Amino acid sequence: MALSNDELKRYARQMGLPHWGRNGQERLRAASVFIAGAGGLGSAAALYLAAAGAGRITLCDPDTVELSNLNRQVLYSTSDVGREKVTAASERLASLNPAAAIVPLSERIDTSSAPDLIAGHDIAIDCLDTLEARFILNRACMALDVPVIYAAVSGFTGQLSFIHPPATPCLECFIPHKNPTEKPQVPGCTTGIMGSLQAAEAIKYLTGIGSTLASCLLIVESMEPRFDILEIERDPDCPACGNQAA
Amino acid sequence: MIIYLRSGGKLHDLLKPDVDQYTRRVETHEGATLVEILGELGIPLVMVAFAFVDGKVRKLDYVPTDGDVITIQSPVAGG
Ligand SMILES: [Zn+2]
Repeated sequence: MALSNDELKRYARQMGLPHWGRNGQERLRAASVFIAGAGGLGSAAALYLAAAGAGRITLCDPDTVELSNLNRQVLYSTSDVGREKVTAASERLASLNPAAAIVPLSERIDTSSAPDLIAGHDIAIDCLDTLEARFILNRACMALDVPVIYAAVSGFTGQLSFIHPPATPCLECFIPHKNPTEKPQVPGCTTGIMGSLQAAEAIKYLTGIGSTLASCLLIVESMEPRFDILEIERDPDCPACGNQAA
Repeated sequence: MIIYLRSGGKLHDLLKPDVDQYTRRVETHEGATLVEILGELGIPLVMVAFAFVDGKVRKLDYVPTDGDVITIQSPVAGG
């Protein structure tokens, strides 16, 4: 179906970008995005993907909104405290762009639920807040051949990569099984930067423009400030995708 | 030999930078791994996830060479 007059107006300030055009916008509208985690990263990623015209956005998070979330989780308002995150988020995203189909899933991602939750999506955005859940998402997406846009934050530090094995390393190739020693402090500006970059990676992949951070790890240190783009390689001994992986 | 360790993140205070705000000059012996060097500096290994040198991510078994500038990253998992 061709873009409507309303869509042509709504997206007029992006469709003129080189190589985006009607074709890119239609590809975005046909896309299905799985956002794992509706916290700080998920807020920024979901808002920019909905605004850009992603056709279907599944938001997966089992939590309710807490007052201490509001410094960084910009999908929510003070009046949302105590509500299911995905319900409040769906309302916010639907009011931003009524054409986007928002699928709220108030569920935790674990080994048994992940494959069914993720199947049928074109891409997954890793906005989770534990290493365990991230590794589960990594393995489930690898099995389903769904690319993942990984980001993680702590303080003014952010990490970002585009993961789609076997063309790229998987998450466990370069992130060790080492948890942070304490619950991180996270200002909203850090999740805003990294969640926005996740949206940018997804938009490039889904519209077919530009290049992604495949086989690269972006490290943002806003405190210095400094941005590094690093080479990452597949690890033959990786527990998830290496020679000995189950 | 001399190497330079740097961190702009959470490890910054533990590293005790002396060259500039983020960098510490470290004298070490050839063949030492990052694990050994960090141990000698009293930086707990649980607080270091990986390092990067010359634009490449390195695990902690990396053996630095003279003059390396090595940035260390703490585990990061927040969302
Ligand atoms: Zn791997």
